[in-house]
Amino acid sequence: MKRILVVDDSPTMRRMVMASLRDLDGVHFDQAGSGLEAIERLALAPAHLVILDLNMPDLHGLDLLQFMRQQAAYRHLPVIVLTTRDDPTSQAAALAAGASVYLTKPYEPQTLAGHVRRLLELE
Amino acid sequence: MMAGEPDLLYSEFLDDFYAECEEHLKAVRRLLLALEPVAAGSAADPARLDELFRHLHTLKGLSAMVGLRPAEQLAHGMESLLRLLRAGQAILDPLMLDTMMDGAQTLEQIVAAHQARQPLPDPAAILDRLSAWLTPAMPAPAPTRPPPAPVAPVAAAADGLAERVTAARRDGATVWRFQFTPAPELAGRGITVETIRARLQEAGDILSATPRVEPGGQVLFEFLVATRREESSFHGWQDDGLSWAPHEPPPAAAPSPEPGVGSWAPSLSSGVVRVELSRLDDLMRKVGDLVISRARLEGKLRDLEKTMPTAQWRALQEVNTALERQLRDLREGVMRVRLVPIGEVFERMQFAVRDLARERGQRVIMELSGQETEVDKLVVERMADPLLHLVRNAVSHGLEPAEERLARGKPAEGRIWLRAATAGDRVVIEVEDDGRGVDRQAVAERARVLGWLEADGSLDEARILDILCAPGFSTRHEADRASGRGVGMSVVKSAVENLGGALTLYTEPGRGTRFVIQLPLTLAIVDALLVSVGGQTFAVPLPAVQEVLEIAPGEITTVTRGREEIISYRGGVLPLVRLADRFGLEARARRAYHAFVVGAAPQWAGIVVDRILGQQEIVVHAITDPLVQQPGIAGATELGDGRPILILDAGALARIGGTG
Repeated sequence: MKRILVVDDSPTMRRMVMASLRDLDGVHFDQAGSGLEAIERLALAPAHLVILDLNMPDLHGLDLLQFMRQQAAYRHLPVIVLTTRDDPTSQAAALAAGASVYLTKPYEPQTLAGHVRRLLELE
Repeated sequence: MMAGEPDLLYSEFLDDFYAECEEHLKAVRRLLLALEPVAAGSAADPARLDELFRHLHTLKGLSAMVGLRPAEQLAHGMESLLRLLRAGQAILDPLMLDTMMDGAQTLEQIVAAHQARQPLPDPAAILDRLSAWLTPAMPAPAPTRPPPAPVAPVAAAADGLAERVTAARRDGATVWRFQFTPAPELAGRGITVETIRARLQEAGDILSATPRVEPGGQVLFEFLVATRREESSFHGWQDDGLSWAPHEPPPAAAPSPEPGVGSWAPSLSSGVVRVELSRLDDLMRKVGDLVISRARLEGKLRDLEKTMPTAQWRALQEVNTALERQLRDLREGVMRVRLVPIGEVFERMQFAVRDLARERGQRVIMELSGQETEVDKLVVERMADPLLHLVRNAVSHGLEPAEERLARGKPAEGRIWLRAATAGDRVVIEVEDDGRGVDRQAVAERARVLGWLEADGSLDEARILDILCAPGFSTRHEADRASGRGVGMSVVKSAVENLGGALTLYTEPGRGTRFVIQLPLTLAIVDALLVSVGGQTFAVPLPAVQEVLEIAPGEITTVTRGREEIISYRGGVLPLVRLADRFGLEARARRAYHAFVVGAAPQWAGIVVDRILGQQEIVVHAITDPLVQQPGIAGATELGDGRPILILDAGALARIGGTG
């Protein structure tokens, strides 16, 4: 069973993300509504993949990403940044901070599912 | 443009989408209103701008997901403008704020139209206005934060943290450094960084929040909290993974500038569960069924009292009493879940008043109080439009133009008060203005023209209200935009009454007008007085009953050609309404009558019945079918023996008595 942590401050958005991946077998979802909560979830229940929003109230998604890349435990954890920001600067910053994939909302569910499959080596 | 079909996958989330949009729009309204002083020249709080930005950003993202393009475009436009403000590349002025407020309103209309499957409002006009600031010469949106630089451990210190610590100390607060170490055992007890954050937020102001990793790999969170509380109030928190010490500012530790981090907006997800109202209603119905079953149990117990050994019966009766108490607690608990603060509606009013005043070139100061007053969600929903109407009326009919006010020795800016308070099991909402007051002369003339008032008929406030609320009444050129749309006074009154409330008017020429709305705090289950008339049982909600009287026939005086009966009561006159006559039931002459008093002087009445049977909790089922509706009947209930009985409408009965 692979655990996916979905981090977004919008509960509706988290539900949409999980719904677009519901056809995947062998995955389990965990959620966090803020950057701090994400750090806590990761510390308590290790995840195999993080789907991360950038604009969040307490800890910005990029700060969270940076934080993760500095910890040995999360250095190689795949992170899909899923954000509404579509400017090249944000994309460059996210990839520089160590995002595995950068997707913008609205996204195609199949595209997201494809990346998740590949990163988690499902099937 | 018609509302397009949303992406199939996401259409199942539309209800979530609408509900969440509502929350974000509510926050956007609140934050925009808070920016008014900024537009007038004060310094902007960057934390507020960040929060506003985030809400718009989420609205944009959500709208994009469900394919609501106009909302996405509009949220994007507003977000872009905020980006400029945050980066200091634009200065907030009143015109810009107005545009943003109009934008927020249009955004709300677009979402509402989408939900109602109606044609979507076109945001083009607002987008045009927004684009005045978003010059095409602007390069691609500037990065809102510096590109990441290696820092260890991650610094989430707020911009100007040192200043905020100093400011908090100047205000007499102590700054504490709290450390929270998360653990599975704590999470199992529901104690997470989010609940800890909420707890600290409640204790004071969170100045910063930083995640840290200890050399052993242990994750912990550090919060700087400014509070006036004594340390003793943290007692017991050490069991919840918290430790604390007074904060000593680190010498020369320059916090890296990280806009938006450390400013804490309560997140939508923190400790709040959103529940559909229909599920609560369902829960309430189930509690209602339980209440009925318990009443049935009590009936059976009473039957057993004669045949059962006393000791055993007592034991059963004790269990029954405990059950009754627990059911009452359960009922109250479920009702509490339905309560929401009325402040949200008030803020909406503030918005509307601002718009209307601007349109009319008036200056209006609105004063709110009691926003935290909690009311049933249904009441909030049903009262939103009526309150809006009263507030708009206050601006467009109540408040005089500035010159007129000055000539009367009043301040040029009009004042509107919107208040809420809880009084016992009722909520009182008041809308007051310091305007010209209701023009009695005009109301009387118009009422005579319509044939509603005799040539010499006099007008007290209750009568004025009746006339104002009669469908088809108007004294002014009501094509006036303010009152032309929305609901009329008649709808205001019926909305209040349908919720079991009462509307009262107080007005004084030249001084102002005050509408008082009294509403029940909770709905659905009430304690009721059971009465019997002509062999039939009726229930009347106990909160509406002022007093129960026993009347000897000799005390009754007949007036007005033998058609109206009164008794003297509390130094005044109490008109009587014989329920048997009212509902065409068999009436027998009796040695003494029972009556209960409803309403408040002068619009009160003694309702005469054959017998008072007792008191019982009843589940109210409103009768909404207009074919079955009858003045004086508010609904129906079941007493536990399966027999349906009717619930009397105390307010309507009081009016029957009060107007003869």
